[in-house]
Amino acid sequence: MARYLLGRILWFGPTLVLISLVAFGMRQLAPGDPVEALNRSGRGELKVSPAAAERAYYEKARQLNLDLPWFYFSIQPWAYPDTLHRILRRNHRLAQVALLRQSGNWPALQQAQRALIQLRAALAGPSGGGPPSLRVEAQRAIQDLMLTMELPRFCRRAKGLAQQLSEYSAPVSTLARALDQASAALLTSPRRWQLYVPKVVWHGTNNQYHRWASGCWRGDFGVSYVDGRPVGVKLFAALRWTLCLNLAATLLAYALAIPLGVLAAVYQNRWPDRLISWVLFAAFALPSFWAAILLLTLFTDPHLGWNFLRVTGIGEYPVGASWWERLQLQFQQLIIPVFCLTYGALAYIARQMRGSMIQALQEDYVRTARAKGLPESMVRWKHAWRNALFPQITLLGSIFPALLTGSVLVESVFNLPGMGRLAVEAINQHDWPVVYAILLLAAMLTMIGLLFADLAYAWVDPRVRYQNPSSP
Amino acid sequence: MTALPVASRHWFWARLWRQRGSRWALRGLGLAIFLVVGADFIANDKPLACSLGGKRYFPVGQAYLVALGWSKWAPELALVDWSALNYDWVWYPPIPYSHTSIDHRNLSSVSPFGPQEISSWRFRHWLGTDRTGHDVLAALIHGTRTALLTSAWAMLVAGGLGVLLGALAGYFGDEGLRPPRLWWWCNAVALPFAWFYCWLSPLASSGWFWPWFGLVGVMGVANLLAWWGVRQGWGGGPQRIRIDHWIGRLIEVIDSIPGLLLLLSLAVLLAEPNIYTTMAFLGLISWTGIARLVRAEMLRIRQLPYIEAARALGYSHWRIIWYHALPNILPPLLIVLAFGMAGAILVEASLSVLGIGVAAEATTWGALLRQIATSQAAEWWLALFPGMAIFLAVLLFNYLGDAMSRALDR
Repeated sequence: MARYLLGRILWFGPTLVLISLVAFGMRQLAPGDPVEALNRSGRGELKVSPAAAERAYYEKARQLNLDLPWFYFSIQPWAYPDTLHRILRRNHRLAQVALLRQSGNWPALQQAQRALIQLRAALAGPSGGGPPSLRVEAQRAIQDLMLTMELPRFCRRAKGLAQQLSEYSAPVSTLARALDQASAALLTSPRRWQLYVPKVVWHGTNNQYHRWASGCWRGDFGVSYVDGRPVGVKLFAALRWTLCLNLAATLLAYALAIPLGVLAAVYQNRWPDRLISWVLFAAFALPSFWAAILLLTLFTDPHLGWNFLRVTGIGEYPVGASWWERLQLQFQQLIIPVFCLTYGALAYIARQMRGSMIQALQEDYVRTARAKGLPESMVRWKHAWRNALFPQITLLGSIFPALLTGSVLVESVFNLPGMGRLAVEAINQHDWPVVYAILLLAAMLTMIGLLFADLAYAWVDPRVRYQNPSSP
Repeated sequence: MTALPVASRHWFWARLWRQRGSRWALRGLGLAIFLVVGADFIANDKPLACSLGGKRYFPVGQAYLVALGWSKWAPELALVDWSALNYDWVWYPPIPYSHTSIDHRNLSSVSPFGPQEISSWRFRHWLGTDRTGHDVLAALIHGTRTALLTSAWAMLVAGGLGVLLGALAGYFGDEGLRPPRLWWWCNAVALPFAWFYCWLSPLASSGWFWPWFGLVGVMGVANLLAWWGVRQGWGGGPQRIRIDHWIGRLIEVIDSIPGLLLLLSLAVLLAEPNIYTTMAFLGLISWTGIARLVRAEMLRIRQLPYIEAARALGYSHWRIIWYHALPNILPPLLIVLAFGMAGAILVEASLSVLGIGVAAEATTWGALLRQIATSQAAEWWLALFPGMAIFLAVLLFNYLGDAMSRALDR
């Protein structure tokens, strides 16, 4: 048993690593720029000059480890530089990769990009030269060039810009010439063969994934891209609500489902069983979010006159409310969401309970118990019920994840500040640190739930032994 | 075990049809399929048939031909508002609105029982209109198509993966698969190269499909090479693959990922949200239940005498799996797929309610619910009818699964 337990717990590691890799890989594909998002949210300071803004951008990106390579190694064409990750802005990086894929000549591309960056700085400076209107136009052309993805178009435009700037004073004109030469070299001396040769680059442990994963190991999940708060703090506040909701729903579901299942089994194929079975069957198919929407409408619409229950504004209390009033309010606010989460699980457990109770009532030992004249209630509750109860414990393993999923929608409908709503918000706002952390946490909870169910089953039923988990 | 595989399939269907109640489930399924196929003929703003200036038209049918490129609209009909034409005679579908048509006189949610600005009862919005003037009943009928097709698509993906992996794990077990060492090497070397050439090098074409196609091609070539090498006697010793073990681990990992959360975070990665892509993702994470079932059934079946006989006759593994074992798994597989359909319909509705992974203009049941879920309002018909449709669809597939499992048990 101890060996089995240890084996199960050891497998937590690879599972979590795999999930973290999936979550991390998703961010690389996600659109949007986290630094821009943070700056938009008002956390980044407003910089007047473009150079200062650029510096602030780099600083922020460095804080978020975005200047590091993504992973321990990368597989890439020979033509690509090892330092591609240093181009911090995602759309600039994508544009350069696109150009590189058409030419393969990295030194020339690097020179062109350097010339562009220096030109931008020179034009912005006081000694930029040229009339201001042309300067603005040139700046816009440079911005455009940095995002251009087609090689012929890039070269044509670079040539045009260089010609335009060649009459300017010293630093600008020399830079313009450099740009012209470099962009011409992109077309005239391509190194396409290098694009077909793969190369493995080893980055070592100083990479984004390693930093993030080791941070998670220490309990530091990073900061939210949306408001700059630590993810752990946000998550902990939300987790309280979700756990409260789900534990209440689980307990309630078990407490109601087991008597219902027994009742249906005892009256098998008679009207109480028919009625219970049909109601449970319907409840199982009833979408929880629909029930939530209907109940919310019912309890908030003043025309219907059912607004005696306060369902909205969860987590807010009137000033100076005593703990008793708070508890009352909280109870009022949570009763409907808990109901919405409960009935589906209830229906599922009760149906299973009915099945296993019917089976238990047909066993030999029940017949023996009846034959020796025990009262029917004794037979039911002492002999049949206990044996029928065991398998229901394993359901916990599948019910808890289902409840977590259900609470995503229910929390969204009721505006409950729990993990489900936090997840939906974070996903909508591309707040990846929060999304990763929630995925990991939910996976962790699910695995613990599954393990707990297995252990509880072995504990209550001494016949169950876990010897060799991998053999069929 | 005396029953032959073919006979066993027949008794299953016969029992299912004889069983009380399951006929109703099958009829319900028939109705749902009828709605999916005939949605355009039931709810459409174009007439089924009409006569315009002495010429006869069949606009609904013609729309299909136009979509296929086999026909063209007459120039005066290309961009016409069909409800504003002066017909000699006209035959509308039962519901003269489509899911895209906007009734400008009944914008912003008209109640089914309230006053409606319509020319005759024929144009009444029987279930009201939504906030942008779409007919709710037409949206529900076309939403049936989205719900069932996307769920079936997700189940197709999940079923394909689940049957393949479950059958491999169950049939071969931990001991059965012992390919030569050369096979290992060929695949291990080819995989990173295939990835490089199909995704990173300039050979990679755009789109999501062709790189995968290329991957399959490269791996196919590698396996052909390995096969040839083995024929030449360069195979090396057998190397055991504990396929059951590893597939079991994969199932455990996927089962411990919170599915809806992963699905939501995958869905926002799409540049253009599309319900079919999102539901394909659902298929990719929901095959585990099917794989578990197929594995367990395969473990049972592979010990039956007829499989032994087939092995003794020297049939190939694939032939035994595909023609001899899998047909016997069909009834339990259908049960899992029916429950899976119910789950997929729920997931599709949840995604539409949250508005993640679904195109903004897509017609789904959940999209109607979303209008009322995002703000508290008194438009009860926007909450009641779409929810009822979801409920009935889920109920139907659950009942179908239940009926099938009763037919199998008895």
